[in-house]
Amino acid sequence: MNFETSSNQVRGLSFHPKRPWILSSLHTGVIQLWDYRMATLIDTFEEHDGPVRGVHFHHSQPLFVSGGDDYKIKVWNYKTHKCLFTLLGHLDYIRTVQFHHECPWITVRVWDIAPLRKNNTPPADEDDIMGLTQMNSDPFDATVKYVLEGHDRGVNWAAFHPTLPLIVSGADDRKVKLWRTNETKAWEVDTLRGHSSNVSSVMFHAKHDLIVSNSEDKSIRVWDATKRTEIKTFRRENDRFWILAAHPETNLLAAGHDSGLIVFKLERERPAFALSGDSLLYAKDGFLRRYEYSTQKDSQVIPIQRRTPDSSPSLNQSPPPRTLSYSPTENAVLISSDLDGGSYELYIIPKDRSEDAKRGTGGGSAVFIARNRFAVLDKSTGQEEVVVVLVVKNLKNEVVKKIPLPIPTTDAIFYAGTGTLLCRCEDKVVTFDLTQRLVLGEVHTPSVRHVVWWSNDMESVALLSKHTIILASKKLALLCTLHETTTRVKRGAWDDDNGVFIYTTSNHVKYCLPNGDSGIIRTLDVPIYVTKVSGDKIFCLDRDGKNREITVNASEYMFKLALMGKRFDHVARMIKSSRISGQAMKGFPEVALHFVEEEEGDERVRFNLAIESGNMSVAVASATNINEEDYWYRLGVEALRRGGNSGIVEFAYQQTRNFERLSFLYLITGNLEKLSKLMKLKKGVMGQFHNALYMGDVKERVKILENAGLLPLAYITASVHGLEDIAERLSIALGDDVPSLPQGKTHSLLMPPIPVVCGGDWPLLRVMKGIFEGGLESANEEDDVEEGDWGDALAEEEEEDGEEEGEGSGWEGLELPLQLDTPKVSAFMTPSQGMAVSQIWSQESLLAAEQAAAGSFDTAMRLLNRQLGIKNFAPLKSMLLDLLIGSQSYLPAFSSSPVVPLAVERGWSESSSRGPPALVYELSQQEEKLKSGYKATTSGKDENLTEAVRLFRSILHTIPLLVVESRTEVEEVKELVTIVKEYILGLKMELKRRETRDDPVRQQELAAYFTHCNLQPPHLRLALFSAMGVCYRARNLATAYNFAKRLLETNPTESQAKTARQIVQAAGRNMTDATELNYDFRNPFVICGSTYVPIYRGQKDVSCPYCTARFVPSQEGNICAICDLAVIGAEASGLLCSPSQVR
Amino acid sequence: MAGMGSGPDHLFNLRNTFYLGAYQTAINNSEIPNLSPEDAVERDCLVFRSYIALGSYQLVISEIDEAAATPLQAVKLLAMYLSSPDNKESTISSVKEWLADSTIGNNAILRLIAGTIFMHEEDYNEALKHTHAGGTMDLHALNVQIFIKMHRSDYAEKQLRVMQQYDEDHTLTQLATAWLNLAVGGSKIQEAYLIFQDFSERYPMTCLVLNSKAVCCMQMGNFDEAESLLLEALNKDAKDPETLANLVVCSLHVGKSSSRYLSQLKLSHPEHVLVKRVSSAEDNFERALQSIA
Repeated sequence: MNFETSSNQVRGLSFHPKRPWILSSLHTGVIQLWDYRMATLIDTFEEHDGPVRGVHFHHSQPLFVSGGDDYKIKVWNYKTHKCLFTLLGHLDYIRTVQFHHECPWITVRVWDIAPLRKNNTPPADEDDIMGLTQMNSDPFDATVKYVLEGHDRGVNWAAFHPTLPLIVSGADDRKVKLWRTNETKAWEVDTLRGHSSNVSSVMFHAKHDLIVSNSEDKSIRVWDATKRTEIKTFRRENDRFWILAAHPETNLLAAGHDSGLIVFKLERERPAFALSGDSLLYAKDGFLRRYEYSTQKDSQVIPIQRRTPDSSPSLNQSPPPRTLSYSPTENAVLISSDLDGGSYELYIIPKDRSEDAKRGTGGGSAVFIARNRFAVLDKSTGQEEVVVVLVVKNLKNEVVKKIPLPIPTTDAIFYAGTGTLLCRCEDKVVTFDLTQRLVLGEVHTPSVRHVVWWSNDMESVALLSKHTIILASKKLALLCTLHETTTRVKRGAWDDDNGVFIYTTSNHVKYCLPNGDSGIIRTLDVPIYVTKVSGDKIFCLDRDGKNREITVNASEYMFKLALMGKRFDHVARMIKSSRISGQAMKGFPEVALHFVEEEEGDERVRFNLAIESGNMSVAVASATNINEEDYWYRLGVEALRRGGNSGIVEFAYQQTRNFERLSFLYLITGNLEKLSKLMKLKKGVMGQFHNALYMGDVKERVKILENAGLLPLAYITASVHGLEDIAERLSIALGDDVPSLPQGKTHSLLMPPIPVVCGGDWPLLRVMKGIFEGGLESANEEDDVEEGDWGDALAEEEEEDGEEEGEGSGWEGLELPLQLDTPKVSAFMTPSQGMAVSQIWSQESLLAAEQAAAGSFDTAMRLLNRQLGIKNFAPLKSMLLDLLIGSQSYLPAFSSSPVVPLAVERGWSESSSRGPPALVYELSQQEEKLKSGYKATTSGKDENLTEAVRLFRSILHTIPLLVVESRTEVEEVKELVTIVKEYILGLKMELKRRETRDDPVRQQELAAYFTHCNLQPPHLRLALFSAMGVCYRARNLATAYNFAKRLLETNPTESQAKTARQIVQAAGRNMTDATELNYDFRNPFVICGSTYVPIYRGQKDVSCPYCTARFVPSQEGNICAICDLAVIGAEASGLLCSPSQVR
Repeated sequence: MAGMGSGPDHLFNLRNTFYLGAYQTAINNSEIPNLSPEDAVERDCLVFRSYIALGSYQLVISEIDEAAATPLQAVKLLAMYLSSPDNKESTISSVKEWLADSTIGNNAILRLIAGTIFMHEEDYNEALKHTHAGGTMDLHALNVQIFIKMHRSDYAEKQLRVMQQYDEDHTLTQLATAWLNLAVGGSKIQEAYLIFQDFSERYPMTCLVLNSKAVCCMQMGNFDEAESLLLEALNKDAKDPETLANLVVCSLHVGKSSSRYLSQLKLSHPEHVLVKRVSSAEDNFERALQSIA
C-alpha cells in the first residue's frame, strides 16, 4: 500500500497519466486532487451537488472532467482552479465520464435506467457522445454490439481486457464474470465467486494476468485470470469499496471506499539485489542477473523461479524475492522471499554455464554470515508457541549449529560482517556476534528495512526504515538520524571514496554526511533504487529492474566534506571554479567569506557573508565600499545586536545621519561628550530636546522650549527643577498665562542613567569554536561509547564453565576417535613418519633442477654430469642453493612451536593435485638476460662487453637448471644455448683483440673471426665494420674490401655504408694484402673456443657436450672455455630440461 | 575447555588474538573483569605465552613464581626451554618429571607445553605421547601440526575432524583446517587462502596471518602478491623470522636478490630452519662434489 486518505465516501477515481496525482470524487460532490507520492491534498473542487461518480484527467491538457448525480458534466482546468463549462442535457445520474484520447470528446455513461435488464454496457460502448469544442458530425452512431446476459442482478461495472477480446464484469449478484467476444457474438467464459456483497468495480491488471475486483463486502480481491482462482484478498474493517482505478502507465492501482481511497500495487517493485565488487546481482523476472558496472554488461546468471510443475510463470506463484545475499568466493546466492511465511533458496552458481545451479531451500529468511556459512531465521512452531532460533548452515544446506537469539522477538536479520548479524526486533536493532554470542551494540530505530554497509571498511552502516535513515558505527553507536517526513526512503548506497551516504526517496536523490548534514542532489520523476555510487555517478535499478546510471552534481556534499576534513585547498578550488551554488555555502559563511575575500567577488555578497558570519571588520569595509543607506543600516543593526561593536554602530549611524539612533546610542554607552556635541548640531527641535533630556541638562531644555515658543512648558520645566530666576523671567514673559503647577507631586531631576561601561566596545566572550570542532567532539564521544560497550559486554558475561568440568561442555559428549580418559603410552602408537614432499620429488624426477630443489644435490649433479658432461660445478653452487631455498615456504602455525615448512609446487591450478617443485629459474628471465646482453654488446665499450659476456655466461649456467613445459620451449632453450655460445665466443675474441694491440696480425685475425660468429644483424655490422677498419688500416686492402662488401649487404646505417663504399672504392683499385692472415673466408671454418684459431672443414676438432662450442683436439679433457661447466669431448646424453622429453 | 557452554565466553577475544598472532594486543587487552579463578589462570597463561611468542622469556621466568598454578609453571618451563640452549636439557628433565607426577601430569597446559618442547626437539614420538589424547582445542591443534610435520596428513585429518565435531567455526579449527589444506596441497590451497582471507577481514592483520596468506599465494604460484603481503608483514615486524624466511623464498621467485633478507635472518635467527637448511645444503654440495670427482 502506498498511500491512504480519509475523506468522505469516494465514488470516482482517476490517475494523472504523468504526475503522481489522483483525483477522487466524493459522495458529497467534492472533488479532491491528491499527490499520492507526497501524501498531500493539493486542491478541492466543489461545484457539484450530490455524489460525483465519474472523474477523468485529460491525457495532455491540464483538464479533467467530472460527472455527477446532479446530471451535470463539468470540465475543469486544475491549473486555474476553474470550472470551464458545464454540460447539461442528461436526464439521469452520470456514472462515468472519460476524455477521448485523441478527439476532443467526452464519453459519458449514464445511469442504466433498467438495472435489472441483465444487460451490460461497457463504458466504451458510447451511450452518448458530446462534442466538447466542436460537434461531431455524427455523434450518435453508437450501436449496441453485444448484449451480455448472465448476471442475476444489476451490473455495476465492466471493463475490457487491454489486448485480448475479453470483458470482465461485476454485479450486485456478488459475482464477477468473464466474457469472451468475437466478431459476431459474446459469451460467458467463467464466473468468479467469492465476494459476499455487491461487486462494485472490476478490471484487468494492465501488466499481469490478473483480475482485480472490489466490493461492498469491504474487500479487494485479486484473481488469476487464466486459472480463474482467487489469489489474494485485502480487507478493510469498516469500509465498503466503491471504485477501482488503474494508473495508465505504472502498475499502481487505486480503490475508493467509504472513508477515503487507497493507492496500492500488487507486487513489490523494490528489486532484491546484492553488491559484490564491480558487479551487481539482482533478481528479475525469475532470473538471477549480473550487471557489471565497469563494462555495463548485463547478463543472466541462473533461473531462480521456484515453481510447481504445472503453474504458469506469473508473479502470484512465488512472491518476488525480498532479499538477496551473495557469497562471492563460493559463488553462492541466498534468495529470501515471503513465500510460506518466509523462506529462502540457496543456489550455488556453477562455474560452467552448462551445469545447473545447485539448489537448496528452507524456511525462514537467510543471510550469509561468512564465506561458506549462512544464518537462517527459523520460526519453527514449537509445542505451544513460536520459537525463533538462528540456524547456521553450510553450503550443503546442512545445519551446523543452532544459536538462541539474543532477543526472542527478532523478526529479521541482516549481514553485519563475518560472523556477525544485525537482528531487528520491535523498535531496535542489535549487532550480535554469533561466535561469542554477544550483543555488541544496539540502536533504537523504527523498523529497519534495509541495511547498507560502507563497503570500504564496514565501519559505518546505514539503517533504512520507511521514513528514517540512521547512520551508525559498526557497533551501532549512533552517528546521526535523519527523518524524511513526507516521502519514504527507498534505497541508498555509500559513496565509498568519501563516506557519504547517498539515498533516494520517492522523489529525490539526497545525501547524508556522517554528521547528519543532508541535502537534495536532484529530483526524480520516478523512484529508483540506488545500488552503487562511484564518484559523481549513481547506479541504480529502476522500477522495471533495469540498471541505470545517473550522473549527479556531487559538488555540494564534496564541498561540505572538504570543509569537514579541513581540506582547504579543495575548498578553495571548488569555490574558485564556482561549482558551488549558494545553497551549499549555507551554513559555512565564514569559510565562504574567507574565499570570497580573495576574489574580485561581488561586494554585496561579501557584505552579506560578513554579516552572516559576524565578521564585523570585513562588514564595515564592505559597507564603506558599497556606501548605501540600506547596507549601513543593516550594519548598524547587526553591530548593535552583537553588542560589542558600539564603534561600528556609531559609525554606521553617522554615515546614515540617523541622529535619533545615534543619540540614544551615546546615551546608553554613556558617551555624554558626544551627546552634548550632537545636541549642539541643532538638528530639529525634537532631536535637541531628546538630547537635552538624555543629558539631564535642564537649562538647555528650558532654552529649547523657550526657543520653540513653548513658553508655558519652559516655565514649568524651569520652576519644577528649581531654576527660579529663569522661571521668574518666563512668568513675566507669560504674563497672565502662567500655568499652575500640579499639586501634591514631588518632582525630581531626570538624570541620564550611568552606563555599565563607558564608551568603547563591550567585552565579548571570544569563543573560538569553528565549524570543525563539532566533528572532533563527536569522534571523541564515539570512543567513549565504545569503551562503554566494552565494559558492558564484559559485565554481561558472568558465568563460565570451569575447565573441563562444565556439564554442558560439549566436549565430554563427543565420541573421540582417540581415547580421551586413558592417555597411556600403550594405547597409542605413534605413526611412522610419512614421506616428505621433497622425497617424492627426488624419487620421481630426472630433471636436475627438480632434484636440486628437492635437496638432492648429489643426484642433481650426477644428472648434469651424465646429461651434459658438466664437471665444473662451482658456478652452479649458488643456483643449486637458490633452487633449494625456493622450494620451501614457511608457515607459522601454533604459537612458540616450530614453524611448518611447506613444499612449494609448480604449476598450481584449482584442479591440480600435487605438483613438481616450484623453481626459481624461468625461461623468460633468460630471455630478459639475453636482451640485456644484446644491449651491452651494442654499447661496445670494454666494460660493456665484459658485462655482456657475464650475462651470456649466466644464461649458459642457468639453462642446465631450467625446466620448461613444452617441446617447443625445449627447442627454444637449445636455440638459446647456441645463440649465447656464439656471442660468448665472439665477444671473448673481440675483448682479446682489444688487449693485443701490439700484434696487428692477430688483431686482424680476431676481428675477422668475430665476423664469422652467428650474431644479430646490428652486431654483425659492428663486427664487420670493426674488421674492415682494422684491416684497412693495416693495409690489408683485399680483406678490408671483402668486409666492406659484406657490410654493404647487411643493410648498414648511412654512415657505415658511406665508409664501406669509400673502402670498396679505395681497396678496389689495389686488391692486395700487406700481411698474410690465418683467415680464408672462402673456406668454411669454425673457431676454437680456447685458442681462437679457425678449424677449417675437414680438420679434426672436439666439442663441448653442453654448449657445443668447438675446439682443437688438444683441448680435449679441459673445461670448456665458453660455458665454463662441461668437459670438452666428454660423453653426454644431452640436455634434459622438460618433463615432456621424459614422457 | 572453558567457556564451552552456551553462555558468553569471556576469553573469546583474548584467545583469538593470541591464536592469530596479535600477541601485543592480547597482552594489552588482558585486563578482563569478573573472571572465575580458572579463567584467570587461563588468561594468565595466554598472556605469558604471548610474552614468550614475543621473545620476552626472562620476563616470564621472573614473573611466574613458585606459588603459581601448574599451568603457569608449565608456561614458565617453555620460557626456560626457549630462553637459552643451555637450559634445554634441564628443562626437558623437569618436564618429564612433572609429567610423571600423577597429580599434575594430566594438566592440559603442561601436556601442551611438553608437546611443544618435544616438537622443538623433533621427538614427535615423545610429543605425541602426551598430546595425542587431546582434551583441549590447543592440544588438538598442536597434534594437527605434529602430524603435518610428520607428513601424516591422514592422522592430522582425524585430529581435525575431532575439532570440527566440537566447533567447526572455532578459530583454531579454522587455522588447523588451513594448515592441513596447505600441507595436502593442490586444490585445497585455495580453501586455505580463503580461510586466512576471512581472518584478515575479521581481525587486524598480523604477521602470522600475512605470512600464512603469503604462503598460500606462493603455493599457488602467485609470488607477486605474496611479496607484497610479506613486505606488509615486514613493515609490522622487521625481525619476524618467518617473514624474512618467506621473503628470501619469494624474492628468488620474482627474480630479485634475496641475499639481504638471508643475511638478516642469519644474524637475527641463526637457528631458523631456513638457515640450517642452507648450511646443510652447502655441506651436501661439497660432499656431492667429492663423490663425482
